[in-house]
Amino acid sequence: MTRQPERIAVVGFGPVAARLVDELLPAAAEGRIRLTVIGAETGAAYNRVLVADVGVGRTTAEAISLADESGLRRQGAVVRLGRTVRRIDRPRRQLLLDDGSIEAYDRLVLATGARPVVPTLTGLNPDPSALHLLPPGVTALRDLGDAARLRSVVAARGEVVVLGGGILGIEAALAAADEGAAVTVVHHGPRPLGRNIDAGGGAVLARALRERGIRLVSNARSSGIRFRNQPGGRHRFDALVLDDGSELPADLLLLSCGVRPRTGLAEGCGLAVDTGIVVNHRLEADVESRVFAIGDCAQVNCGQDDCPECGPGSGAPLGLLGPGWRQAEFLAGQLLAAAAAGGTTAGGRPQGAGMLPPETEPGGPDRLPAEHPPVILLKARGVDMAAAGNVGAELWEDVPHGPGTVPCHVSQWADPEHGRYAKMVTRGGVLEGLVCVGMPRTAAELVLLFERQAELPADRTAMFRLDAVEELPDGAGPADPGSTLCRCTGATLGSVEDAISDGCATAEEVSACTRAGTGCGGCKSRIKELIEAHRGLAAAPAG
Amino acid sequence: MATATHCPYCALQCAMRLAPAAEGVSMNDGGAAASKGMSGPVAAQGPALTVAAGAGPAEAATGLAAPGTGLAVAGRDFPTNRGGLCRKGWSSSALLNSPERLTAPLLRGDDGSFRPIGWDEALDLAAGAVRSAQAMHGQDAVGVFGSGGLTNEKAYQLGKFARLALRTSRIDYNGRFCMSSAAAAGNRAFGLDRGLPFPLQDLDDAGTILLLGSNVADTMPPFVQHLKGARDAGGLIVVDPRRSATAALAGAGAGLHLAPTPGTDMVLLMGIAHVVLQEGLADTDYIARRTAGFEELRRSLNRWWPARVQEVTGVPAALIRETAHRLAGGARRASGQPVNGTGGTYILTGRGVEQHVDGADTATAAINLALLLGLPGSAHGGYGTLTGQGNGQGGREHGQKADQLPGYRKITDPAAREHVAAVWGVRPEDLPGPGVPAVEMLMSLGRPGGVRCLFVHGSNVAVSAPDANEVIAGLRRLDFLVVADFFMSETAAEADLVLPVLQWAEEEGTMTNLEGRVLRRRAAIDPPAGARSELWIMSELARRLEAPTNFSTDPETVFDELARASAGGPADYSGLGYPLLDSGAEAYWPYPAGSTGTRRLFMDSFAHADGRARLIAVAPAVPTDELHRPGELTLVTGRLLEHYQSGTQTRRVAELSAAQPGLALQIHPVTAHRLGIEAGDRVTIGNGRGTVTGVAEVTQDIRPDTVFLPFHFPGGQSANRLTPAATDPVSGMPEFKTSSVTVSVLEKAGAL
Repeated sequence: MTRQPERIAVVGFGPVAARLVDELLPAAAEGRIRLTVIGAETGAAYNRVLVADVGVGRTTAEAISLADESGLRRQGAVVRLGRTVRRIDRPRRQLLLDDGSIEAYDRLVLATGARPVVPTLTGLNPDPSALHLLPPGVTALRDLGDAARLRSVVAARGEVVVLGGGILGIEAALAAADEGAAVTVVHHGPRPLGRNIDAGGGAVLARALRERGIRLVSNARSSGIRFRNQPGGRHRFDALVLDDGSELPADLLLLSCGVRPRTGLAEGCGLAVDTGIVVNHRLEADVESRVFAIGDCAQVNCGQDDCPECGPGSGAPLGLLGPGWRQAEFLAGQLLAAAAAGGTTAGGRPQGAGMLPPETEPGGPDRLPAEHPPVILLKARGVDMAAAGNVGAELWEDVPHGPGTVPCHVSQWADPEHGRYAKMVTRGGVLEGLVCVGMPRTAAELVLLFERQAELPADRTAMFRLDAVEELPDGAGPADPGSTLCRCTGATLGSVEDAISDGCATAEEVSACTRAGTGCGGCKSRIKELIEAHRGLAAAPAG
Repeated sequence: MATATHCPYCALQCAMRLAPAAEGVSMNDGGAAASKGMSGPVAAQGPALTVAAGAGPAEAATGLAAPGTGLAVAGRDFPTNRGGLCRKGWSSSALLNSPERLTAPLLRGDDGSFRPIGWDEALDLAAGAVRSAQAMHGQDAVGVFGSGGLTNEKAYQLGKFARLALRTSRIDYNGRFCMSSAAAAGNRAFGLDRGLPFPLQDLDDAGTILLLGSNVADTMPPFVQHLKGARDAGGLIVVDPRRSATAALAGAGAGLHLAPTPGTDMVLLMGIAHVVLQEGLADTDYIARRTAGFEELRRSLNRWWPARVQEVTGVPAALIRETAHRLAGGARRASGQPVNGTGGTYILTGRGVEQHVDGADTATAAINLALLLGLPGSAHGGYGTLTGQGNGQGGREHGQKADQLPGYRKITDPAAREHVAAVWGVRPEDLPGPGVPAVEMLMSLGRPGGVRCLFVHGSNVAVSAPDANEVIAGLRRLDFLVVADFFMSETAAEADLVLPVLQWAEEEGTMTNLEGRVLRRRAAIDPPAGARSELWIMSELARRLEAPTNFSTDPETVFDELARASAGGPADYSGLGYPLLDSGAEAYWPYPAGSTGTRRLFMDSFAHADGRARLIAVAPAVPTDELHRPGELTLVTGRLLEHYQSGTQTRRVAELSAAQPGLALQIHPVTAHRLGIEAGDRVTIGNGRGTVTGVAEVTQDIRPDTVFLPFHFPGGQSANRLTPAATDPVSGMPEFKTSSVTVSVLEKAGAL
């Protein structure tokens, strides 16, 4: 009975799928598994985080690729791009593709990602499947096609209205404004990033955005789109209409209203779906360990009442690459272990029950480690913002006291004139939340401490001072004759002063007497100063 | 009568002059008068250091100073040190007539104490121990541990001695703890590893220098002269979790200091490279003409955008971007210039980024960055690694490495075996195959299948190797340990037999400095009567072990043989000889017979068959210790200005040991405050591998999540009791820079 390599099919070819494929590829090249990747876009995976940079012309589509189609093929993977899966036939373990072909699998990984949310606006078709039917002049910013639409407007230094004040909208707005577009951001609530940031941080950030030439329209509700007729008959976006009747004309409306997991395939084959495709802590979407989901389409929620990580609705995808890549790495280990342990028989029937072994490798994790709360870092040039965790606690809030309660405390630094703001929310000395604007070194260190759940220094100003102006060493230097003047040789100030008063008149003579200045030479200017000072003293009139 | 030679310590190999103190040297002229009124330890040692002249025998027929004569040290003008010396160099001659000098073979008795014995008895015992270990446990039961401090002649001869006299594959050396990661990365990327593939003076006019994990201001102070141009241009960028003396040189407008959390250097480098690619800063023409592997590298770098790198390293994204732009700007400004030395960008790595379980890949990430910027083999920049030990370059070329034959040849290459065997007058099949790297050999000591009888030359593994407690236990498990040294080092103290050998000023030979330039070391003084050269010891042991070939005791003869053995290899010395070196020729290898050597490598092509450098996608490894657990700190180890390596020498120089008498722990004030530690407190630093004690030095110049210990001290102050024996799978380099430790107060300062 010959063992056939296990057939692993990956549906979706975004950055998370690419990470999984990278990990599985050596096994595919060695014939230990048979790997098939099916992607809806015509090109191989690219880094979605950098799509905005393509959109404003800072980089190119080729330069952000994460996978090489021909390279994958050379190493034995089957790559089917520009194809979508119509249906999953779980009993037969088959995928039915849009070209009528069938792909069989032993393990199936759904990495179908998320699609942009189309807001309810007069003039836009809210049907998610009609995303590709957005009218001219309206785009999301999710894929390379979207980037190309933005690119043409930015290149012409046109006007862009960004609808949505979330992190991706702000990043796109900053990049487009930097590259010469006239940008307006329209958002709900009093400040941008309202869901991630507190009032103080939001105010300082809003100032920074305005200083960069971005117009902010806050507390805005948009109601519809006004079109103009193009030659040829088709409507083109002309202006965004707000519910107070005002209009924001522009060349492009960029929708940045969040994303929604693509769950249709999973629903269609009877898998559990909540916000995303529901998987357990081993990323399994079914009880047979046949179907898995990772990345922006997956919701990690085991549904067990006693699980400390999971509650109703928890585990929804965060839209961040880091957690998706950790899922991909974990799942690759699981799949490779399963392929090594089980495989299938020549007849294509599975051996055993098909359950994955509990451990991927000796000592390896048998469940995906819990994710830390996400950290929001603004990816922009010249504007620094970080936020994480509980940002809502306020400085003078009453803190609950009593047995068993550990109160939360706030330390804050605000200097809006200079665009600086930092807030630390701590419990038991450990960061529970942070906001940091315009203080890059403070932000970098606070984020490390937040992720490590490490104790903050009791002197919180140590954190605020990281972005202080560099403190220069005292120019005069210590006057103690026993202090070291020349680090390299250990020569003391006293020995140099003695050499000068004994007649050494040049730095070279002082070096010859004392060794000072004979290492790196960094103290030679200091020696010269001492010689000059001595001369001045000698030349001064007595008395 | 002054002798022109080089410093005994680091790979900068500062040129110096040694003269009997009575004769005086230029540094002394005019100095005597000025020394009046000086006080304290510096004055006591005097400007040009003299050591007490003993009543030695009359000057020997060699024309050298007699043993015990005081020698004065003076800097000598040379392109690398420009007459400069550091404190270690100035005081180096103090060791020549140290009262602690070993002058007779010492045998350990049953009571554990040593007694002097004659050389014949000592050599017979050593040869007997070899025969007995091999009869009972096989050829590989005998091991040799060499050193990057040995001259080329001794390093070469040690490799030959191991393979032909001891007939063992088990030879490796302490350079494995030093240069192995950068060497592996250089060989992989360029096809050749010469630490600096250009003369040091090329740095003088650099506009931008990125210095990663190297504290040259403490480890080789005269080197700092070559950073002046970059500092004046505001272009010195230092990467170090500490604000080291070198990082401080980048302050006040002279450049940038990036302080990543330990163990994240590779990610930082990938972030900088990401910006270079995404922001149009790469030299695309160079990449197309001179490299291979670009597309795969680019895809791997796409995972590391600046904000993500910030999240891992703690270095702000804005600084990552600024660094990328400065590096590219320097290269671009200089690339329009017709000749070398008109600006440019250099990327230099040191042990800080290399001594990791992914050190070879980290050095590779630095090389990748340099290649993306079009620097190596160009007239406007380059990549280099700053070799540490005195002969760390030559020591890694001539066969004391487990997998290597002279000339930087691979021992697994049939053509290399044939060539070297012919020079040695044996058959290729008489040469053993590759051995095992240093840490693996040390961990095997006294264990089944491991080494039972060990020879140690020029190394103090009881202090310098990782997981030192385990290493000492291994030394004690051995059937027989032979240590050749001139002091009773901590390793010698564990030996069954200690053989007293020569110091640098007592021997002739060659060293290859950090630039790959071969230098002459010259004798200035006769050795003490009881000490012997290691060439003589190897020759005598080889005769007793009936080796099938000749082992010369004359350094020049050995060098000529080395030159023949290296002919045609990557590190080809065949055009070199003592007369040429004595003429002052600039002897940069490769120096094939008939050539004038190679000042700058790779100008036309790299050393791979297709002439292209390799861009290699890398990814960070998981650290050995789990880092950042509550209450734990990350320990990095390194060197102090005043000491060298395990301190065997510098701890015996009064001036140096007075300045740095013992272990001091650098710790940030906020961390010290949390732990109730104040400056001067005695503290305990510990983890599952061991515990050491030291004095707290509270300083802002270190990250709050990091503590620093120097590794120069023995016993309860030995930092390597805390480091793990985990190694890089590519290079065999141990992990010295990310140990997780706890720190606590042992005794408050001033407590009675």
